[in-house]
Amino acid sequence: MKNDSSPLNHNFTSRRELLRNLGGGFASLALVDLLSRDGFFSRRAEAATESTSAAVRPLLAPQPPHFPTKAKHVIFLFMNGAPSQVDTFDPKPALEKYAGKPYSGKAKVGSNGRPIGYLTPSFFKFRPRGKSGLEISDIFPHTSQHADDICVIRSLQTDTAAHASGCLQMNTGSVFIGKPSLGSWMSYGLGTENANLPSFVVMTDPRGGPIGSASNWMGGFLPAAYQGTLFRSGGVPLLDLATPPGVSDNTQRCSLDLLKQLNQRHRQAFPNESELTARILSYELAYKMQTSAAEVVDLDREDRQTRDAYGIDEKLTSDFGRKCLIARRLIERGVRFVQLYSGGGHIEDTWDGHTNCRSNHKLHAGETDKPIGALISDLKRSGLWDETVIVWGGEFGRTPTSEGVGKPGRDHNWRGFSMWLAGAGVKGGQAIGATDELGFLAVEEPHHISDLHATILHLMGLDHELLTYFYRGLEERITGVRGQVIQKALA
Amino acid sequence: MWFRGCRSLGWLVVLLSAIVGNTAMADDENADGDLAAYDAIVEPIDREHWSYLPVTKPPVPAVTDADWVRNPIDGFILATLEKRGWKPAAPAKRRELLRRVYLDVIGLPPSPAEQQKFLADNSPVAFERVVDGLLKRKGYGERWARHWLDVVRYAETNGYERDAIKPSVWRYRDYVIDAFNNDKPYNRFVLEQLAGDELPDSSSETLIATGFYRLGPWDDEPADPLQDHSDQLDDLIRTTSEVFLGMTLGCARCHNHKFDALSMHDYYRMAAIFNGLQRPQAGRGELDLPAGSGKQLAALAERDRDIAAAQAKIKALQSVFWAKFIAAETSQLPRAALLAFRTEPGKRTAEQNKLAGQHAAALEKEIQAALPDATRKQIVSLEQNIAKLKQTILDLPRGYFLHEPSPKVAVSHLLLRGRASNRGPQVQPGLPTVLVAVQPKFPQPAAGTSLRRLTLARWVARSENPLTARVVVNRVWQRHFGAGLVRTPNDFGVLGDSPTHPKLLDWLADWFVHDANWSLKRLHRLILTSNTFRMSKQWNAEYGKADPTNQFFWRFPYSRLEVEAIRDSMLAVSGRLNRKMHGPSTYLYVPKEALDGHSDPGKIWKPFDENEASRRTVYAFIKRSMVVPLLEVLDLCDSTRSSERRNVTSVPTQALTLFNGNFVNRQARHFATRLQREAADKPDEQIEHAWTLALCRPPRADELKIMQQFLANETQAVRAEATKRNEILSDAEARQRALVQMCRVIFNLNEFVYPN
Repeated sequence: MKNDSSPLNHNFTSRRELLRNLGGGFASLALVDLLSRDGFFSRRAEAATESTSAAVRPLLAPQPPHFPTKAKHVIFLFMNGAPSQVDTFDPKPALEKYAGKPYSGKAKVGSNGRPIGYLTPSFFKFRPRGKSGLEISDIFPHTSQHADDICVIRSLQTDTAAHASGCLQMNTGSVFIGKPSLGSWMSYGLGTENANLPSFVVMTDPRGGPIGSASNWMGGFLPAAYQGTLFRSGGVPLLDLATPPGVSDNTQRCSLDLLKQLNQRHRQAFPNESELTARILSYELAYKMQTSAAEVVDLDREDRQTRDAYGIDEKLTSDFGRKCLIARRLIERGVRFVQLYSGGGHIEDTWDGHTNCRSNHKLHAGETDKPIGALISDLKRSGLWDETVIVWGGEFGRTPTSEGVGKPGRDHNWRGFSMWLAGAGVKGGQAIGATDELGFLAVEEPHHISDLHATILHLMGLDHELLTYFYRGLEERITGVRGQVIQKALA
Repeated sequence: MWFRGCRSLGWLVVLLSAIVGNTAMADDENADGDLAAYDAIVEPIDREHWSYLPVTKPPVPAVTDADWVRNPIDGFILATLEKRGWKPAAPAKRRELLRRVYLDVIGLPPSPAEQQKFLADNSPVAFERVVDGLLKRKGYGERWARHWLDVVRYAETNGYERDAIKPSVWRYRDYVIDAFNNDKPYNRFVLEQLAGDELPDSSSETLIATGFYRLGPWDDEPADPLQDHSDQLDDLIRTTSEVFLGMTLGCARCHNHKFDALSMHDYYRMAAIFNGLQRPQAGRGELDLPAGSGKQLAALAERDRDIAAAQAKIKALQSVFWAKFIAAETSQLPRAALLAFRTEPGKRTAEQNKLAGQHAAALEKEIQAALPDATRKQIVSLEQNIAKLKQTILDLPRGYFLHEPSPKVAVSHLLLRGRASNRGPQVQPGLPTVLVAVQPKFPQPAAGTSLRRLTLARWVARSENPLTARVVVNRVWQRHFGAGLVRTPNDFGVLGDSPTHPKLLDWLADWFVHDANWSLKRLHRLILTSNTFRMSKQWNAEYGKADPTNQFFWRFPYSRLEVEAIRDSMLAVSGRLNRKMHGPSTYLYVPKEALDGHSDPGKIWKPFDENEASRRTVYAFIKRSMVVPLLEVLDLCDSTRSSERRNVTSVPTQALTLFNGNFVNRQARHFATRLQREAADKPDEQIEHAWTLALCRPPRADELKIMQQFLANETQAVRAEATKRNEILSDAEARQRALVQMCRVIFNLNEFVYPN
C-alpha cells in the first residue's frame, strides 16, 4: 500500500507526468481516473492505457488489504471526557486497603504534574464475568454479558493530559491539528464497500461534539474525500435528502450531470486541488444517498424487539441506542468506519468526572451500556460480528486518587488506562497488560496508543508501516515513528 | 526549564515533558502560602522566544526581479522565493482579481456595472481605485466583523440546558461592524473592549464594546457556583490572552504552562485583574444594562429615581382612594365581588379570587369615574412630570456586558488544580512575567471601578507590546490569504508555528503601528495592492511538491469562501439581498425536521420572514444549541471558545443541503426571475448574464454550448412531463423552470464557492 508502488509504470507520458507532479498515491491515481473518464487525456492515450485502467480506481473504490483478514468494518465507541479505569475495566482491590491515604509511590505521576492526593477505591463493584472470568464493574451489566468476547488492554498510555490534544491523539495519533484521523486512514487504505454511503461516518452527542470538532475526523493531508461525514446529532440525522418539490427525478439527474460536467471543466485548470475533487465526488455521493441513506437512518424499519433491545424508546438510552442501531445499519451496508461519541459539551455532560465520578459514570454508563450490549448481540445474530471490530474507550483515563479530600471526583490520568477491543480477529475474554497496584501507571506490557492504532489497522488487514502517504518530504503514517501490533490481542 | 522547540519537534517535546516537565510544579504542601512555588523561573532564554522579542523594522531585502516589487510586502515574499530559485506565479486575470478582491473585502461579488467600470478603466491605478472604493463600503465592516466575531466566540445564547438568549448582545456585533467601517484604530479597539467602562472618555459605545467579556457560554444553573465563578474567569483569561496576545495562558490554570514560560501565578494574576467583574442577573435570568458615559449614566440614574418617586406617589394616591372606595357602598358591583375585594388577596377563597379576577376591570372603571378632582389633578400632574423627565433625559441604549460595580475587588487566590474549593495563597493583579521586566503599579481608586482592566488594556495596546501588533497583523494576513504568516494565529508560543516570513511579519507589525497608526484599512490597502495579492493560483509541480501548503506564497492560495460569503453572494446574485444594517438578529430558515429534536420548537425559533432572512449572514441569530443547519454544515466555527480558523470540509451532507435545501432552491428561483427581467428573452443572453452575475466572467464557448443544450433539453423535458400529467404549461413557464435549474447548478459550482 505504499503509494510509490504505482501500478502505472507504463510509458504513457501524460499520465505519468501528471502522476509524478501529484506525488503519486491513491489520490492521484483516482484523479487520473476521473480525469480520464472526463476525456482529459487524448483518446489515443486513453486507448493505450486500457490495459492498466483496471488498476486505476476512484478514490473510494474497495481496495484489498495488505494481508487477508476477516474484519471489514470498525465501530469506534468514543467515550468522550475520559472514563476512569479503576471504575470500569481495571479492578484494584488494593485501593480498599489504601483508601483515604495519600499516594506514596516514587513516581511523579498524575494529571498535569500535580502531586497525588488521596487514594479512593472504585465507586462500583467488580465481578468476574463469563467463562473467562474477566472482571468488569457493575455499571456495565449488558456489556458484561459479552465478557468472553472482550479484550481489555489495561496498560495504555498517551502523551497528553488535556482533552483537546487527547481526543486529537486518540483519533489521529498526533496531538497537533491537521493529521488524518483513523477513519480517514482506513478509508484511504481500504476504500468503501458501498459507494452509495460515506465510507466514514461520525455521530456526536447532542450535548456537543468533542473539542476541536471536525479536526477529530478530518482527512488532514490525505485527499479531502477521505474525511468523516458528520450526521446530525439531535433529531433527524440527515437533512435535505429529498429532491426539492416540483423537481422530477430526471431533472435532478440532468442538473447533477450538468454540474459535474462544468465542475470537471473547471478542475482542468486546478488538477491538484484535492478539495475540488472531493467536492465533485460529494455531489455524486449525495445523489446516491438520497435513496440509500434515508432508508439507513429510518429506524421505524426495525421491529419492536430490536428497538427495545437498544433502548430506543427509553429516555436514558434513546440517543446512544439510536446511534448504535444506525451504526449497525451502516456497517451492514458496507460502511467502513463508524464513530459514535458518548458525551459532549459541558464537563459533567462528558465522562470527565472531576466533581463526582460516581454519578458521572453511572449516568454515562447508563446511557451507553444497554445499547452497546444490544449492538454486540445484534451483530452476533446477523453474522456481522465476524467482520466487525469494536473499539471502546476515551482519550485517556482517570486517577485512582480523588480530586480534593473526601470528594468523589477523579482527575486525568494518561499513563495507565483501559480500552477494549472486540469482534473480528480479537481474542476475547482476556485482559492484556496491567497498571500498578493502584491503577496509576502502566507497568506490565505498557502500550502507547500508537500500538492500539497499529493493532486496529492490523485487524483490518493493514500494516501500519505500509499504510503511508508521502507528504512534505515524509512518508507519513498514523503511528509516526512508533507502533507495534499488540499480538496478544489477536485471535 | 522551558523546552524550546518547533512544531516538528513536537513529539519529542511532549515526550520529554512527560519525563522532566513536572519539576517546575508545586507541591500540595504549598497550599497554605508560598506563592513563589507557583512561579516559573523565567530564564533570559525564555524572554528570547521570537514573539516576545521587541518588534524591529528589518530592511526590505534586495531582489533580482525588482520590477515585481510593488511594495515592501513583495520584496519579502520574492526574496524568500528567489532564495530557492523560484518565481512567483503569473498575475491573475483582471476579472479573476476583481472577483477575488470583492469577495475578500466585502464578501459579495462585483455587479455587472462594477465589472464594466473596472474593465474600462485603463489607468495604471485602476485596481487601487477599486480597493479604495471597497474599503469605504459598509459591506467591508459586515464582512470583516464576522472574522473578529469568530475569534471572540460570538453567539447570541448561553448554551447549556436552557440556552437562554443574551439580551441586547447584537449591539456588540454592531459595535464591531462600525469599528471596522469607521477604521477605529486597533489600539483603541483593544482599549474599548478590555476597559471601555474605565476609559476617561467612556461612552455607550465603549461600554457596549466590553460585551467582549460576556460572549461566552454560561451555565445559568451551575452545580457548583464557586467553581462556576472560576470557570467564568477562565473563559475571560483564555479568550483575552489568545485573542489579543496569541498566548495560551489558559494552559496555566492547574499547573505551570508545559511549554511556554507562563506560570500558574501568571494565570491567577490575570484572574485577579478580572475578579471585580460581575454578571448583571436576576436569578437565572440575565440583565442588560444602559450604556453611556459616566455623566449620562448618573443623569439617567437620577432621572429614574425621580420617576420612581413620582410613580410611588401616584400609587399611594390611588391605593388610598381604592381602599376608601371599596369600603364605601357606592359601587354597583355585586355584593359578593365587593366582599372579595375587601378581603386581603392572600386570604381570599378560590371563589373570591375568581370574582376579583372577573370584576377587576369593572371596578377600575368605577374608581376612575369616582376619583375626586383634586386627586385626579395630582395624578395627572405627576404623570406629566414623568413624561417630561423621559423627554429631557432620554433612555440610553442597552448593552450586554459585565460590570464592575465597585472599586473594591474581592481578594484573589491561586486555586490548586484549578479547583475553586482548593484555595492557595493570595494573588495580586499582574501581567505575565516573561513579558514584563517589572510589574506595573495597579492603582487603588476610591470610586468607580478598580481600574485593573484599564492597566491591562493600556499595556496590551502599547506600541511596545511585542505581541499585540504581530498577532493582529497576522490575523489580517490570514483572512486575505487563507493562512497566516504564523499558521497558529492564537498561539505565538513555543508550541505554535514559527512564522514562515519572520521579517515580513515584523516589518508589517512595525509599519502598522508607526506608519499606519494602527489603521486596519491602511494595512488592508497595503496587502491588497501588493503583487503578492495579485498572483494567480497557477500550480507549479516543482514548488507544489516541495511546499504543498504554499508556505512560501509562490502562488495565490486556493481556499473556499466561508459560509457567510457563499450565502450572501447567492442573495446578491439572486437580487434578493436585503441591505438593512444593524439591529436585532434575524432568524434564518430552519427545516422543520431540524427543530424536531427540541422540546419546544415553536418557542426557540421565530417564524420565517423571507425579507428579514435575506439580510447578510452576519445578522443571523446564532443559537448555541441549534445552529442553523445551512451554517453548520458549511463549517461555521465553534463558538464555545475563540476560533482561530474555519474548518473546510466537503462532505455529501453539504451537497445535499446546497442542492436540495430550501435556501438555495429559493434563491435559484429568484435568480431565474432576475435573468428574465434583466436579460432579453433569449437563452444566450440569459446564460451570459447569469455567468457575469455569478462568476464575474462571460461563459466560454464550450460552456455556452453546454448550457444552451441543457436549457433546450430541460424545457422539452418539463413540457413532456407536464403533458404526461395532463397539465397545460406555456412555453414561457417551461423555459422559466429550466432556467431555475440552471441557476441552481450555478450556485453549486465549485467556481462559485472557490473563487479563482
